[in-house]
Amino acid sequence: MSKKEGRKRGKREGKKPPRPPPPSSSSSSASSQLSGENSSGHTSPPVCTLLTVGQAFSGTQNVSSLQKDEAWRVNVRIQGCNLDHGYLCGTMEALNVPMADTPVVTFWEGEIVDGKNYTFYTGKWEASSEDDIRHWTKFPSFQPFLEQVKVDGGKSLDLINYPYIFMRWKEQYFVNVGTDCGLTIAGFYYVCFSCTDGSINGFYYDPNSSPFQKLELKSTNEGRSGFSFSFYELQ
Amino acid sequence: MPTANTIFPIHGPVDLLTRLDSPDPETKLKALREIKNQIIGNRTKKLSFLKLGAVPAVASILSSYATQSDSQLVDADVSTSSIIVQSAAVLGSFACGFDAGVRAVLDAGAFPHLIRLLSNLDEKVVDASARSLRMIYQSRLAPKYEFVQEKNMEFLISLINSECENVTGLGASIITHSCQTSTEQRALCDAGILKKLVSLLEGSLSQKNATLESMAAVFKKNPEVISKFVGLENERAVESSLSQRDSSLESPGTVIKNNTESVFKFVGPESGSALSSIIELTKDRYARTRLLACMCLVVIRNASPNYLQDMGNQSQIINYIPKRLQGVLLALADLCSKLESCRLTFLSLKVLNQVIDALTHDCADVRTSACICLRSITRSIKNLCAGNFMDEMLVIPLIRLLDDPSVSVQVAALGVISNIVVDFTTRKSTFIQCGGVKQLVQLTKSMHSTLRFNALWALKNMMFLADDRCKEGIFLELTGSLLASLMSDPEPCVQEQALALVRNLVDGCIKSIEYVFAEDGTLLDAVGRQLHNVSDEVGIQGMYLLGNVASGNELHKEAVLQQLLAQADNGAQSFVIKFLQSSDSRLRTAAVWVIVNLTFPSCPGAFGRLVQLKNAGIISQIRNMVNDSCLDVKLRVRTVITQSMTFGDGLT
Repeated sequence: MSKKEGRKRGKREGKKPPRPPPPSSSSSSASSQLSGENSSGHTSPPVCTLLTVGQAFSGTQNVSSLQKDEAWRVNVRIQGCNLDHGYLCGTMEALNVPMADTPVVTFWEGEIVDGKNYTFYTGKWEASSEDDIRHWTKFPSFQPFLEQVKVDGGKSLDLINYPYIFMRWKEQYFVNVGTDCGLTIAGFYYVCFSCTDGSINGFYYDPNSSPFQKLELKSTNEGRSGFSFSFYELQ
Repeated sequence: MPTANTIFPIHGPVDLLTRLDSPDPETKLKALREIKNQIIGNRTKKLSFLKLGAVPAVASILSSYATQSDSQLVDADVSTSSIIVQSAAVLGSFACGFDAGVRAVLDAGAFPHLIRLLSNLDEKVVDASARSLRMIYQSRLAPKYEFVQEKNMEFLISLINSECENVTGLGASIITHSCQTSTEQRALCDAGILKKLVSLLEGSLSQKNATLESMAAVFKKNPEVISKFVGLENERAVESSLSQRDSSLESPGTVIKNNTESVFKFVGPESGSALSSIIELTKDRYARTRLLACMCLVVIRNASPNYLQDMGNQSQIINYIPKRLQGVLLALADLCSKLESCRLTFLSLKVLNQVIDALTHDCADVRTSACICLRSITRSIKNLCAGNFMDEMLVIPLIRLLDDPSVSVQVAALGVISNIVVDFTTRKSTFIQCGGVKQLVQLTKSMHSTLRFNALWALKNMMFLADDRCKEGIFLELTGSLLASLMSDPEPCVQEQALALVRNLVDGCIKSIEYVFAEDGTLLDAVGRQLHNVSDEVGIQGMYLLGNVASGNELHKEAVLQQLLAQADNGAQSFVIKFLQSSDSRLRTAAVWVIVNLTFPSCPGAFGRLVQLKNAGIISQIRNMVNDSCLDVKLRVRTVITQSMTFGDGLT
């Protein structure tokens, strides 16, 4: 989430025509979710216990603008995960938000870049393939993939043994406040998760908000001397 | 590395496009066939051909051969027809489920040619063109068909009346796509389209589906058209019914005129009428047909609630209702079981209350089906996160079903409860206040293992990230001794759920770990005993349980260590070594996490525990796993090694 800003950055002023879809995507409604017809022998990202339901993370989101340095404390919890569908969801809580009386909680849904369900190209949410590359390249762990991603969005990459998982997190609704809370969830996050220590780095992208707001989270033990794991299954 | 297939050479896109230009019809035909085969179901291939300009090239072939075919007064020669058929098929394939393809086909001007080819003399050409047009009409990019214009309406009617399945299907697709206003709905109705559509409901699978979709478009928010449709069917129903009874009765028209309602009651929907055909299709063997029939009925009910309500009041048909209702519920369950978009559509239709009503239906099968339907709907994590299902309206009837005389109903109700108690908000207490936990605990003592299993499943989900009060409430009801006995239940699936429940119980606030130490540590001892001889699934839950306990204080860690080091009665190796050597990477991961927590740095007893683990051969087993095939295992093994490094030669 980000502060609502009453301005638009110069280069994005006015309503933009729809962008042509990037190579990985077919239509805006289908976004970058590919159908099961892709059988190009891709390998999905690894299963990581630190990225499973119930896991909690805490850290900050830098919301600095030209006028002011500012950062919010942020807590995230994973609430749902379906690796077959490249799906992840959870809640994000922003604390010490100046314009809000209480912490602001949002529900987000994530797309895991697995070459099967989703590629590095977003194909929606006002993100062009150039925007995608500009954000992904901010993660040093993305560098080895850059050239291949330019070719096919990363569909043919072998991600199974790579210790980082790339995702997009899109907030869907405010859980505890109204839409008039002075914050916007119009954008989304480019996210890079480290399987080694469960740390998360992300960049918020919204053409109408400050660019490259950095999200930095660490896996939290919630007062324990070790790691603990809860678990539920839907029927 | 990609290698060339030398046995069956596959031509590259550029080569194939060159072949399309060949003056030799045979080469052209082969190239078209090969393009078609390459792009079918392959979005990547479609895209690469698209970028090379394949669509305009194929459209131009279609156009020139179509013109050639038009100029031939008799049947076109075989190669001309084949080229038209193949080029139409290629264009259809580009358009199938691929909006960029649809756009390209439309931009290349192929659409009017395909329409024109519907009047071709060759049936194969007509069929292929209709098929391609159907693909185009599946996309929202397809041009709107203005059938309010008289000529267009005539053409549409000719399509619907066709003998060719793809052509009638195309007619229905055009209606679905283009019928948007009440004027258009009325125009279609006045042109007699409905009568024809009703007859198509008895056609093939694809005709049925296309027809149901088109009917929904014609009925949508239009009570007037629906009333004409029902009137039309009464006429048909009475005609058919009376002709079978006594021809000396008054004419059907008079009967309808005098007492439409009573006639409808008398005839009932089993008479082969259109509405009953739609209802019957809610029990079709194909899920998509069942869905479309349900959607059609929902559209009718939303616009004119009285028709379906009236039917429900007919004493003559009361016996059929449970089966129908069951069919609708199971069809909805099927649809919503996997796709979140279907769940959201269902919730937006505001029919949840009707499904909740079915929970109290007299017929046990309907109650079960209502539960199965709700189980699918409540798989929506998005709605669970919003706390949308923890509502007394839903919770109370479900809890009552836990007392149902039918075990199938009880199991089905437990399925829904398992989902709704996941509730991520702080409203789990609603379920406790309604007496749900007491009932669930009772069912964990059932003679039926399915009930024990499902009741524990629900309690486990309820325990997920529950607050302290909720945990306490559940534990007091369950008791440590009952949990311990469930962990050693004769059924492994029950053991697994019991262990998973305790796993969740001891997570969260650190003091919740104390639950396993209650009653002189009965629970923890039961876990340790149980793990000596279990399946992988049970082992996974047991190890996460121990891992969660081992993330606590020194006493907790020491107690877990003792469980790991305890020998089985027959002196066999520690279960943890067996788990670390398991072929199931999930079990290896769970086992390594326990060791990570026991050697967690900055804990005073960590070094002592490391030494004991080393003496028991556990550390050397961990060292053997440094290149484990599973990345997650490998990373956790490295964590153990890094942690042990802080004690100098701890590992050597």
